[in-house]
Amino acid sequence: MAQAGKGKLNYRCPSCFMRDLDIDMFYDKDKDEYYCIRCQYTGNEKDVLEKNEMVRFRYRAMAERITKFDFD
Amino acid sequence: MDKFIVNIIHRPEMVPEYAEKVTGHGKAEDIGRKALLTESLDIFKTQQRLAHENGLKTTIQMTYASLFNEEAVALAKADHEKYGDEIALSLLGLPCKEFREKYKTKDFCIWMFSMEDKKSIVDDIFAKFHDIFGFYPESTGSYYLDADLINYIKETYPSVKCAVATCWEEGPKAYHTCNNSWYTLFDGGPWAPWIPSKQNTHAPAANEAEDSGIVAIPHLSRDLIACYDGNGSNFGTHPQNVLRGMIYDSQTWEYPYMYNLIDQYRSLEKYNNGYAYNMMFVGPAWMNKMGRWEAPYELLEKSYSDGCAYYGKLKKEGKLVDMTMAEFADHYRKKKSYTEPECALWRDILYGSDKQLFWYCDPYMRACVNMDQGGAIVDLRPYAAKLEWPVGIGTKHVQDASYPFLIQEKYRAGYFTHYAGEGTVRSAKLSYQGEEVDLCLCRTKAHFSQEGNTRILTLDPVEIEFYDLTMKLQTRIYFEEGSSEIKIERAILEMSNPEAQVELNEYMVACYGTTEYPEDMTGIILKCEGPQEKSISYEYKCREEQLAGAEAVSAVIGAIETKVSMRPSDPEAVGYVKEGYAFSPMFTLGYTKTVSDKEVFATWLKLEKAN
Repeated sequence: MAQAGKGKLNYRCPSCFMRDLDIDMFYDKDKDEYYCIRCQYTGNEKDVLEKNEMVRFRYRAMAERITKFDFD
Repeated sequence: MDKFIVNIIHRPEMVPEYAEKVTGHGKAEDIGRKALLTESLDIFKTQQRLAHENGLKTTIQMTYASLFNEEAVALAKADHEKYGDEIALSLLGLPCKEFREKYKTKDFCIWMFSMEDKKSIVDDIFAKFHDIFGFYPESTGSYYLDADLINYIKETYPSVKCAVATCWEEGPKAYHTCNNSWYTLFDGGPWAPWIPSKQNTHAPAANEAEDSGIVAIPHLSRDLIACYDGNGSNFGTHPQNVLRGMIYDSQTWEYPYMYNLIDQYRSLEKYNNGYAYNMMFVGPAWMNKMGRWEAPYELLEKSYSDGCAYYGKLKKEGKLVDMTMAEFADHYRKKKSYTEPECALWRDILYGSDKQLFWYCDPYMRACVNMDQGGAIVDLRPYAAKLEWPVGIGTKHVQDASYPFLIQEKYRAGYFTHYAGEGTVRSAKLSYQGEEVDLCLCRTKAHFSQEGNTRILTLDPVEIEFYDLTMKLQTRIYFEEGSSEIKIERAILEMSNPEAQVELNEYMVACYGTTEYPEDMTGIILKCEGPQEKSISYEYKCREEQLAGAEAVSAVIGAIETKVSMRPSDPEAVGYVKEGYAFSPMFTLGYTKTVSDKEVFATWLKLEKAN
């Protein structure tokens, strides 16, 4: 197996992202998967994108346009 | 000040910090690669174009590397002529072949160099700038500029009047987010422009004698809830930060949060005599042609374009004034006094929690009041000490430039601890017939008002339930300009049993530090002050002292030259001090008093320099 490289868009590990860690993953082309060198996450691009949707769960107001900033 | 002002800053960074490491993966390091230089300059041109297309002027912060690039110099001169952009000089972007050959180092953060090197680099860059442009710059900056460096720059190049001098709460959290590899440790500063003191950049000057001679602006305008809790680099007026945080719809590429953030900053004029401020500063690497943070170049470019368009729209509507950094410094000097505080009553605009914080900053303190914890103070920096804290190689703090805290709920626990010990917080407890309730568990909201020179935070009343007594309590917090004190007033509005007597315990658990890890508390002097003074010299022995009628309770923390004290409105109140122990390396100052219906009790928390 040849060495891994960076994926096309520097995907970060979604599992580490959820604990406020930005870690670029490396890509294993033989297995067609990204893997994290810090934690145990592995997944193909589809899985990474799905998990990236999941990490947005905490941004409940992400889609709202807010116009009032006080509680007066 | 009756304006929302924006500074838009671009830097032609010929070797962007991220680009060589990230996009150059798999190639041997070559910071002189022609492709890298060309791309960096293209991004700078794009940024300039987007600002100008939206009618916005910029401050062009030339980097050391760009001073060796004729095209970058020509572009700056042309845009200065055509659009009125300021040509300034950044102390970021040092890496280039010329710098490395001359200084024989890969260091690139100006505040981390030895003082000798700082002076040499500054002289070198300023001289080169002068050779090229025929004048010295009026603005400079970096992610952080230490006080010694600012003092040197101002003394040697008095034309400098404005500088980017810190990045709000970019400290241990940013370090952790980068897998402990990004050493920008400078928590504890102002989030909005200020005049740094000569002693410590973070601490605003209290008077002309302390004035460093520049107006400092923060690197970006950051979300005052999200950045305090999480990775700062996801939540600022840096469009690609918002992408880094994945705060956008991946299908539509929309990011209302970015506009909410700008608009919440606009709303802060309500607390600051009609003035509000924003800063946008995006290095070229963030608009890398290869994409970044899962975002393709098209999205990176779109976000910057949208950011400029929004500021441009506000300008067209007469709701924004764009200034260069030097123009802003002049404006700020005219409009703001030394002691006028910066206030921000900030609500959550991202997580849907309605959580609300109040941030206060003046030459004596930076404080954060958390309405989700009943108005507890959850962060406190004693600027009154004007702590001299040299940073860089050859000092005791090579990287750590943070202003020390007395209270920091994220690093040194707040109300909640795991089974043992205490965390740092300034709150109050109410006790009745063996039951105890801490106001930290009473979520509420606050309203801002100003009477003369006092800023007042009035919290909505909270209800406290004991087994056979309910009561309603209201908290008011007063910040009197120039007093170096915070007055906290509790009013008992109602009791289900008007005859009941409840013990009120006003307390502050504190320590000191700049990180999550404990410092040596040995020798901190705790006192109940008064004619029968009682004192403890900290030895981790879990001792306590109390004194009925104590005039004040205090702690002197020699390591950070700070004295913190509390005094009561009722001279009969019982003051106490508590030493901690090894598993709870804290100290506690407090007052207890029996209160009844309709009673009002206040305490003042004071910060002083301990000599």
